[in-house]
This record gives sequence, C-alpha cells and structure tokens, in this order.
Amino acid sequence: MSAADWQRIDRLPNIYCAGCGNGSVINCTLAAVEEMGWTRENTVFISGIGCSSRAPGYILTDSLHTTHGRALAFATGVKLANPALNVVVFTGDGDLAAIGGNHFIHACRRNVDMTAICMNNQIYGMTGGQGSPTTPRGAISTTTPYGSAEPVFDLAELAVAAGANHVARWTSYHVKELMAAIATGLQTPGFSLVEVMTQCPTNYGRRNRLRQVSDMIEHLRTHALLVQKRDRLIREGKPIPEGMFVVGELVRRHRPAMGVRA
Amino acid sequence: MRLVIDESRCKGCNLCVLVCPYGIFREGREQNQRGVIVPELDRPERCTNCRLQHLYGRLLCGMCQMICPDQAIAWEEERPYEPHRVEVEF
Repeated sequence: MSAADWQRIDRLPNIYCAGCGNGSVINCTLAAVEEMGWTRENTVFISGIGCSSRAPGYILTDSLHTTHGRALAFATGVKLANPALNVVVFTGDGDLAAIGGNHFIHACRRNVDMTAICMNNQIYGMTGGQGSPTTPRGAISTTTPYGSAEPVFDLAELAVAAGANHVARWTSYHVKELMAAIATGLQTPGFSLVEVMTQCPTNYGRRNRLRQVSDMIEHLRTHALLVQKRDRLIREGKPIPEGMFVVGELVRRHRPAMGVRA
Repeated sequence: MRLVIDESRCKGCNLCVLVCPYGIFREGREQNQRGVIVPELDRPERCTNCRLQHLYGRLLCGMCQMICPDQAIAWEEERPYEPHRVEVEF
C-alpha cells in the first residue's frame, strides 16, 4: 500500500479553501502512517469539530467525528476499550485549546497511548474567523477588531508541562520534518502531541495583511525558531526575538503510559 | 514517469511553485473550466522523480506532492515509452 491508497479519492477535491495547510498535514500523516506499516483494520482516526477535524472524512479507515473539543475523550475510550487499535486524533487549536482544554491536559497527564495532531491556524476558521486562544497578540479577527489583547496559549509547552511523552511542533511548510515528527509520535508509547502551525489565508491572512498564500507561508517560515537555536540563545544569554514560535522536538521521554499493549 | 497536475482537484494555491527546488512549476495564466488558474509545468522532464524513480525504486524529492493540500500532483507511467530530450542544469 502507498500513502495515496489511504485517501478517499471519491471525496476529492476536499472542502478546504485554496492554500489551506490542512491538506498538507493529511499528506504527512498518511505518509507517516504508511511508514509505520499500519493497516486500515487496526487504525482509527478521531476528530472533533472544525476545519482540521474534517480530515478523517478524507481517509479510508474507521473514524469518529465527535463533539466539539471532546475528540481526546472519545479517543481515550477507544484506546482503553481496545488497546490493539492505533489511535490518531486530528484537532484544531479551538478544539484542543479552548473547548477541549481540560480533556487535553488530562489526556497528557494520563499519558494515553495515542497521537494528537493539532493543526493550529491561530483562528476559528470554519465559523468565520473568531479569535481563538492561540490568536497572536495584536492580530485582528472578527471578535478582536482592534487587535487581540490577550497572551497566547503555547500548546506544546502546555503538553510538556502536563506530562506528554513526545511533543513536537512544526509548520505546514516543513513537510519532511513534520512527517518525521509524526512518525516519531506514532512510534512513541504514550501521549504524543504534534502541533502544526498551518496557514489560513481566508480567515486569518485576509485580516492580517497576509492575504496571499505565499505571504502566509513566508510569515510562518520566518517566525519559526528552531529549538536548538533557542537553547543556544538562552545559553549565550541573548534575548529571544519577539513574536517567534519554537519548532522542533520539544520533549521525548518514557513516563509510564496508559493503554499500551504489554 | 511523467509529472501531472490533476486539474479536477487543483485549486490554484501555487504552493508547489514555492517549494519545487527545480522551479518546474510556474504560476499559470489561464483559467480552466472550473475557474481555477492551475500552475504550468516548465520542462517537467527535469524533475528528478520523473527520471530516477525507477532507478532508485522509491520516491525521491516529492516535496510538491507532499505539500499539495489538494492531492493533485502525481507521477504516472508513460505508456508507450516516449523518448524526449533531457536538459541537465549545472
């Protein structure tokens, strides 16, 4: 089987806007799943509500499209009911950080054996561009017309603090690195969070002077700070540039995991 | 192998133009039937996957296919074999 065999060809072209990064994330995930050698019978994709959560609909396996924010709760149930299944969760930033925040930290704390892929487009894209907990300070959305005044949620750091076994963050531009990170997450026993910064030219870029897909990608590329470079800057006592987000593998450890086959 | 863009899936986001290391994809000029401006291929025989995929037995670069959000880029077999000139740039 190849990665293309996991796609539901009959549903294409997909519903995403032109230039949306979610399709790239699906490609990377399927390539990583294919690399693992999993079959359709023992793989489940679970999602909540949002643009990102439409992803399992384009994949030819069993999937659960659940209530808003509760994808991780359903996934915990699936994994504990049948530990032989490989569980992958697609969520967005609004799904994971805002409505499902409590489920998220407790899934990290319990360290349930699954991989959560968070497509963080920094806005509620599907409902019309409302500000989410990850909307950067100063960014304009329909609920923050004078610029967001709140500090943002750093989901990857939150997962590290809550106890996930593997946490990585990449952007939808770094496809090869993203695929490797997802593959590592799938291999790691215990909870794994891969946060993907994706572009949303329709609802985020349009209001923040990043209307073109290329501008949005360039913004992601130039604002990504590699974790090794961040550590070097801290060692040398230099300031970390404002407005950058850290990319790379943030943690990989072996805390006791739940739902792992003995 | 031959590089093809599936016009029924492409939405004209031009992400492939950004990532191709050989500059094979170019922004298109004309709308197709669906009103999408699909990228043009500039001498696609330069693509490393077209030339060397069979020799190595695996997908080589593949950046355009991986980043394409609409799964519109693929390589297909050429049958019958069509000889063509290959330009290698140094």
